[in-house]
Amino acid sequence: MVQATSASVRKKFFIRVQRAFMVRRLCAGNIVRKAEASVDTPAFVIQFPAMIRITALVSLFTLSLAPAAAQADQIADIRKNGELVCGVLGTDEPESFVDPKTRKIIGYDVDLCEAIARKLGVKPQIKQLSVAARIPELLQGRVDILAASLTHTKEREAVIAFSLTTFVTGQRVMVRRDSGIQSLAQLAGKKVVTVKGGTQEPNVRKAVPRVEVVTFETAPQAFVALQQRKAVGFVNDEVSLLDAYAKLGAAQKDYAVLPDSISTEALALGLRKNEPALKSLVDETLRELEKSGAAEKLFFKWFGPGTRLNFQKRNFKLETDRITE
Amino acid sequence: MELLENYWLYFLVGQFPNGPLGGLALTILLGAGALLLAMPLGVLLGLARVSHSRWLRWPVTALVYVVRGTPLLMVVFWAYFFLPSLTGQKTGQFATMLAALVIFNGAYLAEIVRAGIQGVPRGQWESAQSLGLRYVSTMRRVILPQALRNMLPSLVNQFVTTLKETSLGYIIGLSEVSFIASQINNQVLTQPLAIYGIAALTYFLICFGLSRLSYSLEARLNA
Amino acid sequence: MSQFDFSVVLTGEFRHWLVSGFLLSLKLTGITWLLALPLGSGIALCRLSSVTALRWFGATFVEVIRNIPLLMHLLFWYFAVPELLPWPARDWLNTHGAESICAVIALTLYTAAYMAEDVRSGIRAVPATQLEAARALGFGFLASMRRIVLPQAIRITVPPLISQTLSLWKNTSIATVIGTAELMYQAQRVETATFRGVETFVVTTVAYLSVSLLITAGAVWYQRRFPVRAS
Repeated sequence: MVQATSASVRKKFFIRVQRAFMVRRLCAGNIVRKAEASVDTPAFVIQFPAMIRITALVSLFTLSLAPAAAQADQIADIRKNGELVCGVLGTDEPESFVDPKTRKIIGYDVDLCEAIARKLGVKPQIKQLSVAARIPELLQGRVDILAASLTHTKEREAVIAFSLTTFVTGQRVMVRRDSGIQSLAQLAGKKVVTVKGGTQEPNVRKAVPRVEVVTFETAPQAFVALQQRKAVGFVNDEVSLLDAYAKLGAAQKDYAVLPDSISTEALALGLRKNEPALKSLVDETLRELEKSGAAEKLFFKWFGPGTRLNFQKRNFKLETDRITE
Repeated sequence: MELLENYWLYFLVGQFPNGPLGGLALTILLGAGALLLAMPLGVLLGLARVSHSRWLRWPVTALVYVVRGTPLLMVVFWAYFFLPSLTGQKTGQFATMLAALVIFNGAYLAEIVRAGIQGVPRGQWESAQSLGLRYVSTMRRVILPQALRNMLPSLVNQFVTTLKETSLGYIIGLSEVSFIASQINNQVLTQPLAIYGIAALTYFLICFGLSRLSYSLEARLNA
Repeated sequence: MSQFDFSVVLTGEFRHWLVSGFLLSLKLTGITWLLALPLGSGIALCRLSSVTALRWFGATFVEVIRNIPLLMHLLFWYFAVPELLPWPARDWLNTHGAESICAVIALTLYTAAYMAEDVRSGIRAVPATQLEAARALGFGFLASMRRIVLPQAIRITVPPLISQTLSLWKNTSIATVIGTAELMYQAQRVETATFRGVETFVVTTVAYLSVSLLITAGAVWYQRRFPVRAS
């Protein structure tokens, strides 16, 4: 094998083999000597000690390739399993919620996930998560991607990666009209409710330092608490809030959504860090959806005229994953 | 009641077949599965607790005390966050809840098994010894069968407790009875008493039925 | 995140959260215990009384409450029952810590049902002749219970009651679902804010274990100091 290659290549090989040989000697003792001494060793190994060195070299090469292989692993894993596991909330209409008639989970986030699964050529598998469990489940590897009304924040960037921003909204507070509260500042000293494990609690505490916050496992549960007058305010993403407000129907006259936002939320899909191939595939899918107009159609399907929310226009595009702080 | 008409299927089986199994079916499956898997663990730990070897007894006793001194919810969170790194596999909420219940109930069953073993008359040990049986054979053929028979009422009670413990799946988003009841309530909003009342009634009927069974078993065994 | 850094969880704001949660858990346990013990004893006496209606009431109370999970009790008392109250009562409740009050109510009823059974078996363990002798001496039912039977029953009842106290301590963790800011609730909050699951949960587990082991040690001490005398 060595004799068949050209001279310069042989020279490079020889230098590398020398280095590899030195490393192996340091680590594991002299294999060539052992091979020569062993009775059971095949003849060609004894005759060509260089073979051993080549094997050592090849194994070092393979090991150096391994990190790169690990990076492409997630896409390969997903394709091997034949399905993309998407973590969704299932309790946040209309991003992801359970359709009472078919008992399936549907929504804006679910449709985005299905588009990505189509791009990968696999089936989408929708997995329901609680708000507090989104990031842990992604980090543990139980889900491949998060399509769960996840806000892109600087703090979270330390632990996970984000796709292009898929939705821009703010967080607002819905109050009972009979509490007489008309601005955020009046919430000081009063009780508001929201969901555990999201950005709502820290944001409202930052906006109104003396507010009292009680959190529940799901946002709808917190909304029920508001309606049962257990608190004066309910904090949530603007879209979810407006959807809940619209669902009130006749009872809308008892509630009002305060005009001030307590934060701007850039929602995006969540990915594990160190998976550049998957991230670029996801971003590419989102860009394609934007270019073909499918993204805007999706927005209007779930949030546009004719839906409960009745947004007349979309104030963002699927184009960037930078957030302003 | 239109409430029952609209939601009975969701309550009984969750999203199945359009999604994972949930509701009452899930609760019963989880409870039964957890107890069946916890039995071997409980027997092993119980045997360790009565063993003559200090090296076996003390660590297991410490483990049992630690598990029994921790709230089940804590064990659920531990399983939830760290089971995948231990087993190297993705685990869903069902597997997490199952693992937590198996560990927790294993520790409690250890005590029940220990009490059962110590309740077998000494005469049995002595006769087995005089017949030439060694420790392991004695356990396997003489003591454990009798102990397990005596433990049956306690085992049924433990099953009832396990069924109630499945309700903690609510907190990690597992679609068991309590979670589904809350989901329905969050949609309907106007009938919390009826919804939670029906869920509570469901638990009551199943658990009460099983504890009646345990009473009759106990009566029959003591007769 | 590959290194465990306990100082994040044990200093400043997060430590304050965890400590306040721990104190609330202790408060819930204490208040519930003080309410549940008399209630449980009362129910036990109902079950032992000669009045059929009281016996039926006691049995129903115990069976219904014990066969429904604590989580359901908490959801029921927090989300379902207040809707039945008149508005002034509801508003008073909501401005005065409904979460903690409903948690105490649910926990009290749940624990009382279990304690009732323990007290009942303790009383039944006292030979019937004691009660008969007391009645023969002219004591009424309640007086003979109070002076003769219960003092003897207490020694037998205390170990199971201590084990119920241990269960109660652990059960306070479930109150997190109705927003009660006890230790488990605060632990979830700290975990969300710091992304440090291991450290948070280790600290919380140690906190729960410390009190659990104290209670267990108390039981062992009691059984050594006041062993049950053979009658």
